[in-house]
Amino acid sequence: MTADLAWLTEPFTLGFQQRALLGGCLAAVMCAIVGTWLVLRGMSFFGDAFVHGIVPGVAAAVALQVNPLIGAAVAALVMVLAIEAVNRQTALSEDTAIGLLFVGMLALGVVIISRMDSYAGNLTTILFGDILGITASGLVVQAVLAVVVITGGLILYRPLLALSLNQQKAELLGMRPNRAHAALLILIAAAVIGSYQAAGTLLVFGLLVGPAATAALLSRSIPAMMLTACAIGVASVWLGLLISYHANTAGSATMAIIPVVSFFLVLAGRWARRRVLPASSHA
Amino acid sequence: MPDAHGIPPARAGSGEWAVRADGLAIGHERTVIDDASFRIPTGAVAAVIGPNGSGKSTLLHAIAGLLQPRAGALEVLGTAPAQAQPQVSYVLQGTQVSRGTPITVRETVRMARYRTTGILRRMRPQDHERVRSALAELEIEDLGGRHLSELSGGQRQRAFVAQAIAQDHAMLLMDEPLTGLDLTSTQAIDRLIHAEADRGCTVIITTHDLDEARAADYVLLLGAGRIVAGQPQEVLTTASLTRAYGLGLRHPTHPMDTQPPTAHHGGHDGD
Repeated sequence: MTADLAWLTEPFTLGFQQRALLGGCLAAVMCAIVGTWLVLRGMSFFGDAFVHGIVPGVAAAVALQVNPLIGAAVAALVMVLAIEAVNRQTALSEDTAIGLLFVGMLALGVVIISRMDSYAGNLTTILFGDILGITASGLVVQAVLAVVVITGGLILYRPLLALSLNQQKAELLGMRPNRAHAALLILIAAAVIGSYQAAGTLLVFGLLVGPAATAALLSRSIPAMMLTACAIGVASVWLGLLISYHANTAGSATMAIIPVVSFFLVLAGRWARRRVLPASSHA
Repeated sequence: MPDAHGIPPARAGSGEWAVRADGLAIGHERTVIDDASFRIPTGAVAAVIGPNGSGKSTLLHAIAGLLQPRAGALEVLGTAPAQAQPQVSYVLQGTQVSRGTPITVRETVRMARYRTTGILRRMRPQDHERVRSALAELEIEDLGGRHLSELSGGQRQRAFVAQAIAQDHAMLLMDEPLTGLDLTSTQAIDRLIHAEADRGCTVIITTHDLDEARAADYVLLLGAGRIVAGQPQEVLTTASLTRAYGLGLRHPTHPMDTQPPTAHHGGHDGD
């Protein structure tokens, strides 16, 4: 019994593991809140492109020795403006613009990193994160961004709920859909910027969409979906760090894979329930 | 004074005409209605009828303030459409809800009160009462806890109509509200249209059904970029219908014993 308990607590006796757990949990909560709206509004591909879109900004900031958060914010802004410009100037569907920017920004990021001295090391850190390298000052920044995302999520609940029906309906209900959408983009940017060190630009998508998609299978309302996504995200961080410590695997990747596995386990559970239980009992 | 359900009488605020258009041109990518002038009386049930692509939905969008006129003047409830928007409820055509969106019927109807409560204020008892009475009026109280995606098309349409009447409004716009509905939903919405008119609200519906148009107080017949407006017996004449619908119309001898050009409840206009 004591050995079992030690197996659970031992990893978190170390300072860097405690910071990793706290930073990961803050990232999980931010991602769950904005991820819920990404999943509900069918913007998962946008979210995927968005997290990759910050790669060149972070890479350029590292190369220029400025704060990577600033680089990430600038890249996020460029990404959003470029997608908007393509949408306004052409009749192409939005996913075409997103796809173009996705590839373009990621490739640009890799090109910038390839000019650095430590190509492989920098690329790995940016793409896959370094959760064990989260510092105390990094935690403060994450906490501030988490407050912004949580407060913004509460303020925007009604406008985004109306927008989940459609843009015209939101406008008719007086919910100013363009402003609500722009505010959501800012919250996505804040969540991604506040999470990329924990999970990396490639894997933060796992925290953005995995918990929210799993929660969508389990919830009967949007607030319940958001809270369930937060719980799944936090549990994924804790379990991921635990497994990575004992199995000696990459912390960020282990953490990111758990919500995806959770989704398919829940899906399999639903399927099995339908097969086993008579139709009338779950109608 | 509000009635027994807490629903206040419609505020006309516009005198004789709920809608005034002079030389109106509207359209999205291209102009579909050009140089149209018409009036819709306050408190009337007005039917907008015309072939596919004639601009019925576009006209409702312009009245609701969702679309700027390309030219001419459009006045709604005595002011510009955008200014009148808080007093206009609009049931859009066939609002789709994705299967995984966990929004209940009650939440959908509660959204109607957002204009009053804003983005943060709690709903007051009178807001809850408006939601409850709207659900009751559309006979969907038992569906309050169901997700929109779990409903039939008719039930979902009734939920959106309930949302519209739970808003404070002096004008109700409905884009093909009866298309594709079963008898129960059709009767519920039809009763609602007349109840709204009885309390002084101007109701404007688009339709493909000539019988529905004949039953209205006022008709706008759209076709070939023009609008003919007036009493049903003045507007729904053989000559006007033939001009609006062009070839393919049967040749009625008298407007009141014609068969409808497309007398059905199926298919969407999408214009």
